[in-house]
Amino acid sequence: MGLFDSPFSRVRDFIREKEGSGELVRLEMDGRRSWPRGQELILEDETALELGHPEKGSLFFLAWTENASGEDEVMLVGPDLQKIPDRSAPFALAVLVSGQFEDEYDCFRDLRDEVFDTRLRGMASRVMPSRQTIWTRVKRDALENGMSLAHLGAAIIDNLRDFEFVSRVQTLFVTSAKEDVEKLAPAALESDRIARAMIKMTEEMSYDCESCEFSDVCEDVAELKRIRARLGKEGPA
Amino acid sequence: MRRTVVGVCGKGGVGKTTVSAILAAELGRRKEYKSLVIDADHAAGLTMALALNPESTINRARSETIAEIKEKRMDKSELAMGLDYLLSRALAERDNLAFLSLGRPEEVGCYCSVNSLLREAIEVLAGGFDYVLIDAEAGIEQVNRKVMKSVDYLLLVSDSSAKAVRVAETIREVAAGTAGQGRAGLLINRIKDESEVAEIAGTTRLEVIGWVPEDETVRRHDFKNLSFFDLPSCPASEAVIGALTGAGVLD
Repeated sequence: MGLFDSPFSRVRDFIREKEGSGELVRLEMDGRRSWPRGQELILEDETALELGHPEKGSLFFLAWTENASGEDEVMLVGPDLQKIPDRSAPFALAVLVSGQFEDEYDCFRDLRDEVFDTRLRGMASRVMPSRQTIWTRVKRDALENGMSLAHLGAAIIDNLRDFEFVSRVQTLFVTSAKEDVEKLAPAALESDRIARAMIKMTEEMSYDCESCEFSDVCEDVAELKRIRARLGKEGPA
Repeated sequence: MRRTVVGVCGKGGVGKTTVSAILAAELGRRKEYKSLVIDADHAAGLTMALALNPESTINRARSETIAEIKEKRMDKSELAMGLDYLLSRALAERDNLAFLSLGRPEEVGCYCSVNSLLREAIEVLAGGFDYVLIDAEAGIEQVNRKVMKSVDYLLLVSDSSAKAVRVAETIREVAAGTAGQGRAGLLINRIKDESEVAEIAGTTRLEVIGWVPEDETVRRHDFKNLSFFDLPSCPASEAVIGALTGAGVLD
């Protein structure tokens, strides 16, 4: 079992369910890899769309699995940017990575930072990692110029594929309904607990499992026990 | 993109917030620029003068950040990102203006921690804006706490009293010691007798960039508790804008 196999598998179930009901589409990435990059401040007045406003429903998380094969893909449940009604929509972004993750801690940090650093002109995202929320604004002229979630998905994929340990990236966007965003919440929560347990055992000196708030996660995820054993051997006493 | 951070400071009661409100309204009219206005006075006078009602404050963002850290949900590497998110939620927006209020600490005690966060907030948020206008609290505390360290232009406001001019000089000295020798200018507010301006200019080392006449339009506007976004052009507003234009702060 890999570190994030359980949340990864939950997302796969969601994808299967939405594929079965015809609600999931795969967005074409060809011709959508050249959107200009850059950070931008977008005020409400120039905003065409707002995704993942805290009151609308918002979720961001990352999970990985090893030894999976297949093409990179951008998946979407709900309308793409051009078809979002009422200038606002709930928003979930799940980034699913396949590859070989030798140093889990470094890999996780690298992947997460790279996703956060993926910035497109005309789109401004603010993330609160501790709440797994992402709040995104799309500028009016970007929308008029044909911006799609495929541009963002392709940019994330291109950035993550620069890492040698990554063999495949799938981005899943949800803009359909708060209920759909919430369906992904258990996978996001599980992924977050695993990541935080891993970060804690890597960064902190204390190895007192009895008082640790993540002891239940370590019991469930065999890979965490392996990391713990490795750190116990190589890390501080 | 240009980025100019203006800090408005002075002794309490000299009309600092009125000057800030006039400037905020002027920045609101300049649609080609994105401006961030920060009410850094715990009394929230500018928030009231502009009739804005932000849902959150810098202080609330601070409380939420502390809660996240205490619950061990936020680690060090996420702090800047989390702060940016929470402060963005605290922004009230109106056209090309974004507005942020300091708010009051919920617990009794000193304001040091909120002032520290204010300094962080200015640095985190200021990047994308053309103008940042900060209405500081009266006196030297925020200058002393280096809240004004990223200020490009220190607008010192006084009335014609010798005490107010001395306080402005002290603020300038403290700012020079804590934030370096940025530009600064003195705006003398609520002048009834124009001849006093030359007299003040002759007794201070500060550069006097202009004076603002006592103005019945402003007094009536304040009395009726109307938003300064709706203040009609009047001698006081023209004097404030003229002085800042002359000083090269406004185009």
